[in-house]
Amino acid sequence: MPECGTPLWPCAMTGAAACLAGFEGIHVVIHGSSGCYYYPSTLLNAPLYGTFILENEVVFGSDRRLKEVIGDLSGKGGRIAVITTCVPAVMGEDLSAILPENDILLVDSPGFCGELETGYRVALAALSPKTDPDRKGVNIDGVSLSDPFYRGNIAEVTRLLRMAGVPVGTVFCRDWAEMAAHATPLTIGTNADFASGVGKFLGGTLGIPAIRATFEQLESGIPGTDASQVFDELDAQEERVIGACDRFLRRHTPPSVAIFAGAAYAEYAAETLKNYLDAEIRFVGTRNDPPAGRKTRYRQEKANDFGLVADRLQKTAPDLVIGSAFEQPLCPDAAFVGLIPPLQDRVRLTHAALAGTGGTLRFMEEILNTCMDREKAKKVPGTPGV
Amino acid sequence: MPASSCRTAGCTLTGALSVVTQVTDGVTVVHGPGGCTHHNFSLLYATAIDNGRPVIPSLVSTNLSETDVVFGGEEALGRVLERVMAKRPGAVFVLSTCIVETIGDDIEKVCRARQGCPVIVVPTAGFLGGSFQAGVNNALLALAATAGPADPGCGVNVIGEKNLEYEVEENYAEVSRLLSMLGLSVNLRFVRNIATREIGLLGAARLNVLRDPSLVPVGEYLRSRFGTPYTPGFPIGISGNSAFLAAVAQACGIDGTDAVRRERAREMELLEEFRDLAGSGVLFSPIPPDPEGRIAARDLARKVGLRFSDEGCPVPVPVIPPVGLAGTERLLHRWRRAIFA
Repeated sequence: MPECGTPLWPCAMTGAAACLAGFEGIHVVIHGSSGCYYYPSTLLNAPLYGTFILENEVVFGSDRRLKEVIGDLSGKGGRIAVITTCVPAVMGEDLSAILPENDILLVDSPGFCGELETGYRVALAALSPKTDPDRKGVNIDGVSLSDPFYRGNIAEVTRLLRMAGVPVGTVFCRDWAEMAAHATPLTIGTNADFASGVGKFLGGTLGIPAIRATFEQLESGIPGTDASQVFDELDAQEERVIGACDRFLRRHTPPSVAIFAGAAYAEYAAETLKNYLDAEIRFVGTRNDPPAGRKTRYRQEKANDFGLVADRLQKTAPDLVIGSAFEQPLCPDAAFVGLIPPLQDRVRLTHAALAGTGGTLRFMEEILNTCMDREKAKKVPGTPGV
Repeated sequence: MPASSCRTAGCTLTGALSVVTQVTDGVTVVHGPGGCTHHNFSLLYATAIDNGRPVIPSLVSTNLSETDVVFGGEEALGRVLERVMAKRPGAVFVLSTCIVETIGDDIEKVCRARQGCPVIVVPTAGFLGGSFQAGVNNALLALAATAGPADPGCGVNVIGEKNLEYEVEENYAEVSRLLSMLGLSVNLRFVRNIATREIGLLGAARLNVLRDPSLVPVGEYLRSRFGTPYTPGFPIGISGNSAFLAAVAQACGIDGTDAVRRERAREMELLEEFRDLAGSGVLFSPIPPDPEGRIAARDLARKVGLRFSDEGCPVPVPVIPPVGLAGTERLLHRWRRAIFA
């Protein structure tokens, strides 16, 4: 890990909580001090429990405190998951031996072992998801409570699957806990950064080309699937996107863009802007490590440190910045579209999607509107920030 | 267990960061894993945006890895300090985390060896019986210790504003308004949006106004250090303003009779404005955990003529009691919305 930085991405402990708290019927206990509890609790907007350990428990052992919290939860039904934070992880306690009589899911995912996606993967592996060959339909994966688009993504992909007559299997990770052990043998994704690895992967749903390819796979993989309505919708809606972008290009030059997001969302944003707006993608900064072997046609670099992000934005001077509230003030003259947390610039009440047809429509709508607002503001002398 | 321990009283590190990151030319080094810094960086920045002042907090992490945790993080801290100090900030604040206290890094020793700008260590391990408030107090005391003697002035210090509070600027505006009614101005907001050199003004005030009574140890420290008296909190609730004016006037040796009379008249005007709520049945939801908040809310409800009933309309009661008439008026609007919605 680089020194002397200001990290812009949550730690592995938060990732583990994002995974497990997505399952109804799992009570997630953050085993650590109060500070480690409050961040995932506020980021994920999910009910979490904490042991809130104190000094004496660090010195004399935290087992009694952990048992106390678990005891309080044991009457509530469902399964208990314990996620260890940095301090318990170095204390050397054998927590699995402490809790032999309970069906406790123990996830060793302290913050210092990595970032969000690492913890998510460790937690999902601890849950030991299984496929059920008799279960029909297709799983949806790539869902993380840390993603501001997760609710919209589930709703949008579910809508498309229903149009094609395909039942939804297990949603990783936003489902009943017991569904993790009864996933269908086929999976489609909403965000490859949180891929489940469960079942045979048929493709993603980020962007119209990916949706089309995935539903072709579904037609050939699941007997009785009729995706013709989906294909019709994709054709019709893509025409609308092309029309709106073409109209924009009649008056404006394509934007130069810097993108900051998880690797999957960043790649989607870059491809979409290149394809529909002929945008100049000046820089793609990924918060996480892109999957090994993934090729990209853009200048891409891991950028999860504030200083590095500031440097790249200064050097690339884009017209349009896509990222989080961290990037927004660094380029006050640029148009901005939020893609990853924190997103504090405006009130958000709807469950917006990034995946599916609706996701692309909403994304391009935001891009075009913010770029046009910027162009209009340029013509008004004295407009702040322009 | 230390006597101050409370499991759910928040993170000491976050409390201290809410103070030190308000020193505009300072840099804060958080000695621990990157996650601790990210959590707080994200929280502080999101709060700053919510409060309409989107300033990036100047935070740097030593980003301890698993290897550092095993072999010790003092070298990593030393390297980070060197890089940070090379940029000549006004001050460097070094804050500890749970894990470095557990592995036993000697932060004081690493920091003592540094020269070139003030390096201020604030002990902030969350699990050590501390709390969010302990972090705030530790940071205020650490910063106050750097202030030297100052020539006496005629202004008033505002001590320990809740920088993560959504209404922080509105509450400050209300207190400033009251002080101006007595002909007083603010000498220093300790600590909100100030430069390191301004800390030197700390001892120049004729009175310290504490944000709330949890800051009494800070008030006592400043009294013993500079001889400055203090009032223990911002005005709370409908009657708080006149009481606050009287207390400040007395402490500063000012005749506040006219200011108190005018403010009491405003209190009556405000109650009259919300007379339409009289007789409505209400239920506090949730019941404020803080006794002061409960008392202030009950007092306000009684004065506007609300009835308490289990079947009453649930009305919001803030965890932190409303400050002054301005805060009370905003709360009454929320109650009216809830009752007549």
